[in-house]
Amino acid sequence: MANVSRRNFFKIGAVGAGMIALGSTAANADTKKVKYDEEYDVVIIGSGFAALSAAITSAEKGNKVVIVEKMGRIGGNSVINGGLLAVVHSPKQKAEGVQDSVELYMKDSMKAGRNINHPELLKVIATRSNDALNLVQKCGAKFYDKLSHLGGHSVPRTYLSANGSGSGIVIPMFNYLKKMPNVTIKRRTKFEEFILDDTGSVVGILAKEKYRFDSKLKDDDRENKTGKEKYYKAKKGVVMASGGFSRDIFYRKQQDPRISDDADSTNQPGATAGALLKAFEVGAVPVHVSWIQFGPWACPDEKGFGAASNFNINATFRYGISVNAKTGKRYMNELADRRTRATAMFKLVNDNKNYPINICDQTAVDNIIPELAEKALKAGVVKKYNTIEDLAAAYGIPLKELKETIKQYNNYVKAGKDPDFGKPVDKADGVQIAKAPFYGTKGVPKLHHTMGGLKINTKAQVISTKTKEPIPGLYAAGEITGGTHGASRLGSCSIPDCLVFGMIAGENI
Amino acid sequence: MKTKVKATFLFCFFLLLSCLYANSQQEESTTLSSNSDAKIKVTPEQKEKYHLKPVHAQLYFDCIFCHEGQGNNPENFEAPDEEVCLACHKSKLYLAKRLEFMDTLKANPHNSVHDGPNLYCDECHREHEPSVNMCSECHLKEIKNNIWMKATP
Ligand SMILES: Cc1cc2nc3c(=O)[nH]c(=O)nc-3n(C[C@H](O)[C@H](O)[C@H](O)COP(=O)(O)OP(=O)(O)OC[C@H]3O[C@@H](n4cnc5c(N)ncnc54)[C@H](O)[C@@H]3O)c2cc1C
Repeated sequence: MANVSRRNFFKIGAVGAGMIALGSTAANADTKKVKYDEEYDVVIIGSGFAALSAAITSAEKGNKVVIVEKMGRIGGNSVINGGLLAVVHSPKQKAEGVQDSVELYMKDSMKAGRNINHPELLKVIATRSNDALNLVQKCGAKFYDKLSHLGGHSVPRTYLSANGSGSGIVIPMFNYLKKMPNVTIKRRTKFEEFILDDTGSVVGILAKEKYRFDSKLKDDDRENKTGKEKYYKAKKGVVMASGGFSRDIFYRKQQDPRISDDADSTNQPGATAGALLKAFEVGAVPVHVSWIQFGPWACPDEKGFGAASNFNINATFRYGISVNAKTGKRYMNELADRRTRATAMFKLVNDNKNYPINICDQTAVDNIIPELAEKALKAGVVKKYNTIEDLAAAYGIPLKELKETIKQYNNYVKAGKDPDFGKPVDKADGVQIAKAPFYGTKGVPKLHHTMGGLKINTKAQVISTKTKEPIPGLYAAGEITGGTHGASRLGSCSIPDCLVFGMIAGENI
Repeated sequence: MKTKVKATFLFCFFLLLSCLYANSQQEESTTLSSNSDAKIKVTPEQKEKYHLKPVHAQLYFDCIFCHEGQGNNPENFEAPDEEVCLACHKSKLYLAKRLEFMDTLKANPHNSVHDGPNLYCDECHREHEPSVNMCSECHLKEIKNNIWMKATP
């Protein structure tokens, strides 16, 4: 049975093993005949922020919990994440005398999200972000002393994990759970199907143990045949915490046909849509699924987030310009929101891979943390040129036009106003593109966050399209849910989203 | 320069160690073969198909050294759990400490900023096919440009 494809499964189940009646979806499965291999109170799919916080709160209530992670690695995107966590009314805000409010957090998020956010969810996150902070601190997560102030936020409210990565939160949570006798963590174990009972309640899952994710497959969820099938009973509920789908080539393209198959993403390879689609199959309401966020700060010469992203975020976009390599002219406000910039860049990139070139000078680099430039230069994704002539020649940019563009931009900085694209050059600390050496790097937007997903209510229950009520036994939290961030997520607002709704799912089961 | 000397020293030390291991472990594997899995026959073709990494080949490991208790048909052997690797290689923290000298820019794969000592060995190290470097999923350029660790053994 081990290598039977999923499509054949129900047929073979009925005719052969006689465990399950013939049917097209798990909803038709005859659950009375399912022979469970293991029994738990709560089954949690995924192992990132959302899964771990759901596991902690549900296990602390005495439930027997299993975490099911398809990858060999614990933590999904959460463990490679930047470690920035927005909290309202936090102790650090008190210490720094910052006036914040739930309403202000909601207003900032709605503005970035173009007002299509679901406010009731935002309100829960803002109100309970402090509880989430306490939860991770209880596990041993440490944070930098000072708050960060991220773009789009009206006030400083962002904690940064002490090791500058989401792993500074994930590893303490993971270690905390490992010590709990009623928690089992299974890696290389993939959620495949829901088991529903006669009333439509989710009562268990079909999983595949010893599963090996294969990055070489175009569609791992469909093509991968590894693993041994196992049934887990979920006496109290299943929590979907399987993250976003930025690395799902087929599904992301259905949502936005402009996304080419080879478009890179900052996400871990397992960020696929399989689990999300299973939840849709049992009737979950899809929300904002086509709102996909690109990080405009990435570089095509390296994979993932890499070393150039931070260089661009801090140096070229703030203190320099981005030009069309074919024309030597600027084409966007380098400090617009993520969505606006990515759209402008794609216009160029889609024209025969005409990657825009991001440029800044030595003064800009002197203004940022030295390691950022050092790392990007050593990695070879940012290059240094003694003259603008050299830089133009290296990227094949028409020299006369480029020089003209730079001269004009420098005048805009002096005047404190950019009449062409409205970049807030008054906040560029007077830095022009003038002092050699000059720095250049190729730009490309990379898929970063999928805003859409499952509709949940304020209790983290998944809502059904058919009944408009919660699907009994089904909960969800984190990037697999939709609505919270609307059209565009603000930086540092995913971690509180995942932690808070994970916590709530655990509390409610 | 200093690191180079240190590296050479460690390398010699490791060779010596592996000889010691080789002796003790060969004995062990003979006993294993003469017990439960006595009937296992590995054809030369299978040996060729699943050839070992040089360092393990030098130690004359036979298949069941790692695939102990997996029946007597080599075609059905599965990847062993990491405990099997750690039976000789001790622990990831031990390895991290030992390989500290390689970790320019503090990128220690056995106890990294992201994963601590939690990665399975075979995320990167493969026995019967070329190894991969999982860090290259995001840090390809650092590895290509030799500012991080070398190719994964
Ligand atoms: C490079 C990077 C930096 C970021 N920085 C920040 C930041 O600083 N602040 C911020 O707020 N946000 C940031 N984000 C966004 C944030 O990290 C993610 O939105 C968040 O980690 C999602 O958490 P999650 O728990 O929902 O899912 P994840 O952490 O992605 O975990 C989901 C897990 O489910 C597993 N899974 C999927 N399908 C299955 C299945 N069928 N069976 C079993 N397991 C399955 C996946 O393999 C994965 O491990 C960043 C994202 C990236 C990629």
